[in-house]
Amino acid sequence: MVALVVGGLVVFVLGGVLAAMGRTPGDGVLVLSALLELLVLVQVVWAAAALVRGDRPAELLVFVLYLLGTVVVMPLVVFWSLAERTRWGHLVVAIGGLTVMAMVARLWQMWQAHRA
Amino acid sequence: MPDRTVDPTGDIPNIPRAASGEPRATASGFGRVIVALYAVMAVAAVSRSAVQIATRFSEAPIAYSLSAFAAVVYVLATFGLARRGPTARRLATVACTVELVGVLTVGTFTVAVPSDFPDETVWSLYGFGYVFIPLVLPVVGLWWLRRTRGGTGSAG
Repeated sequence: MVALVVGGLVVFVLGGVLAAMGRTPGDGVLVLSALLELLVLVQVVWAAAALVRGDRPAELLVFVLYLLGTVVVMPLVVFWSLAERTRWGHLVVAIGGLTVMAMVARLWQMWQAHRA
Repeated sequence: MPDRTVDPTGDIPNIPRAASGEPRATASGFGRVIVALYAVMAVAAVSRSAVQIATRFSEAPIAYSLSAFAAVVYVLATFGLARRGPTARRLATVACTVELVGVLTVGTFTVAVPSDFPDETVWSLYGFGYVFIPLVLPVVGLWWLRRTRGGTGSAG
């Protein structure tokens, strides 16, 4: 989870910097987004395993929705940023990173509340 | 900034269409960032209100109806900004305006009489739970719609 928050932050900051530099999105963004997506998928598998074991937060529906949400964010964001390659594409990717970060934080919150 | 003097010899390539008085696509350039933000808010608001209505609507029907209304507004704004043409532009303008009025009204209500309003809509406390994006976004959206409107403004 910590790795994911850091990953989201890295994508957010790097996306912002690249946008500020006026660069157009290329392979770098793609690789970075893929790495973040990989972390997201690891989390999904981990969470799914926990849910199957019967370790479930109170708001299960919300938790699962958030979990599914984190999976689709980066692919959509990358699609949207590559469809028109301007420097704003980087900012879009940055927003994606921020979104993933916020969603992971919320998941973490739900998980902690359930543990307490 | 493009020079607005007209070249009598003919077309000038690579000048944004807005410079020639025609509306530009709202989903282009910086607009893509706005559309992305609106899409995130739309998905967040729709899922939140769907869960609220499906699981505990009777607890706070007004707040949850408002949640659903906000969700619809975000979806309409996203589509309005993402698509081309005067109808989409009008839709986006109305949606952004409704959103601004909504966030200001609900925000004020939740600050003034918090007990009457469970903290459950995206507009509560001026969008505090969403880092005030709901407050900033409609202003940016309306500004962007105005900027891309083109010369005469007749295309509304």
